[in-house]
Amino acid sequence: MNMATPDIDVRPARGRLAALLASRPQRSALLPSIGIAAGLLLAALGVFHRAPPDRSTVPAGYAALVNQKGILTSDLISQSVAELGKPFTEVTPAERARVLHEMIDEELLVQRALVLDLPETTTEVREAMTGGVNAQVAAPLLAQQPTDEQLRAYYDAHRAKYTADGSMNVRDLVLHIGGYENADQSMAQANIDATEAVYQLRSGASADYVMEHFGFNDSGRMRFGNEPDFAAKLHLGPTLYPAATRLTEGQVSDPVADTDGLHVLIMEQRRMPTIADFASARTAVYADYREDIAKAAQHENVKILRGQAQIILAPGESE
Amino acid sequence: MVGALALLAAAAFAMDLASQHQAWERRLLTALPDQVVADPQLVRFAIAEARPLYARHCAACHGRDMHGNPALGAPNLSDSTWLYGSGTVYDIERTLLYGVRSGRSKSHNITDMPAFGLTGRLSDGDIRSVVQYVLQLSGDNYDPAAANEGRRVFYGNANCSDCHGMDARGDSGYGAPDLTRNVWNSGGSAEDLYRAIYFGEHRVMPGWRGVLPLEQIRALAVYVYSVSHPTPAQAANTYAQSTTTPGSAAE
Repeated sequence: MNMATPDIDVRPARGRLAALLASRPQRSALLPSIGIAAGLLLAALGVFHRAPPDRSTVPAGYAALVNQKGILTSDLISQSVAELGKPFTEVTPAERARVLHEMIDEELLVQRALVLDLPETTTEVREAMTGGVNAQVAAPLLAQQPTDEQLRAYYDAHRAKYTADGSMNVRDLVLHIGGYENADQSMAQANIDATEAVYQLRSGASADYVMEHFGFNDSGRMRFGNEPDFAAKLHLGPTLYPAATRLTEGQVSDPVADTDGLHVLIMEQRRMPTIADFASARTAVYADYREDIAKAAQHENVKILRGQAQIILAPGESE
Repeated sequence: MVGALALLAAAAFAMDLASQHQAWERRLLTALPDQVVADPQLVRFAIAEARPLYARHCAACHGRDMHGNPALGAPNLSDSTWLYGSGTVYDIERTLLYGVRSGRSKSHNITDMPAFGLTGRLSDGDIRSVVQYVLQLSGDNYDPAAANEGRRVFYGNANCSDCHGMDARGDSGYGAPDLTRNVWNSGGSAEDLYRAIYFGEHRVMPGWRGVLPLEQIRALAVYVYSVSHPTPAQAANTYAQSTTTPGSAAE
């Protein structure tokens, strides 16, 4: 019995196509057709990708192209209304042309600025650019208003910011080393004299008496009399000012050594700094809070930029 | 061969569709913003283009129905009240391009509503009085004695009239709302108004220039315009008050 074998083609698909093409007399028409269809498909796909901009005509939505940089028609309308102070309906073609002319001039200058690398060479341009980025980064966060509790917490954490300056009228006597009785006066001797002078002052002796008896001079640092703390700090310097702030009215300091000799401070008048309470500092607290929020956002932004940047330091440099 | 011809026809059809679409986009952008509304076909094209864009980029804040969201301070886009401008396609497009307080200097950012309570500029009692006066202005129920006191504060130390105007009708030049229309971005109850005065209003909207192509921004502007101006009479009224209308381009 002759069993018929099922007609199953076990060749791979590619082989089958080759065989089909080889067996059909019309293959000469089929191949070019496939080629044409494929080409057309590719062309059709190309249509869906935007063609490169035509550089010789102004794209729709723009009033002009300046070195391929567009000036938006919307910006032209806005600029015309702002500059001419009247509705755009009343702007004449000549006025509109003049505004566009100015905008083109401005665009040319901006482009020139970039060619001249103004962001690299001109501080104001650099600041405007960094300020612009910072403003954009902070804008969404500033839309969120703080609650009273957040402001209060901020105030508590930054009380020092809301301190009103005090003032002081301090007499600053100085004993120049070697300036008392004999030129060979030692530091040790000067200390003994200054300590004695302090004792006399605290016992009620006048400053004039001490100056005359021990050879002290007025240092001249506080010659303007009563001064706000910030000014006194500036004039007394970093060594004497802290000593002065520890004195209350009528007190005399211990001798304090500074670069020009031994000083004795007599606090004649003192108004202590005051911390503004939350209610009276609210406006400043609110402004500071928002400023800090903006700074935090800007800081985060820079962190992200740094994460994406390639920063290479020269040998020996650090940041 | 038949298959190849079918492919060829499909490709040609697709090319034709794409070319038509580009032509419509060009037409949409070539017209000055406010000219578009005079061309019904163009408006239909813009709306069809804008609907999915609106759903993707705008609905999260302004709502799928464009009725806004008081909790976010996102305004209702379907009514005839505009915070900035008078609701022309140009005005809407301007806001879309550069946003509101978006950190770009071309955005609407001249002023914002101060946080009168948070900064301690007004006492709790003063704010409550002003709320009553604003309720009176907007035709709502109010306490006459408190409203009278609120009026004094409104024109006095709060200086509300500086932005909202002596007639309290606002100024759409810089986004000060009309307080007499009873239309509110952040709710119009006494509690809502108290919150707005106490915490201020500092809402932001992103600018879409550089994010969306210009033709999509234009389409969105036309779409929002069409929803807020469903009748020709409303459109005519808007353009009677408009400061922008078409002209010809020339340098």
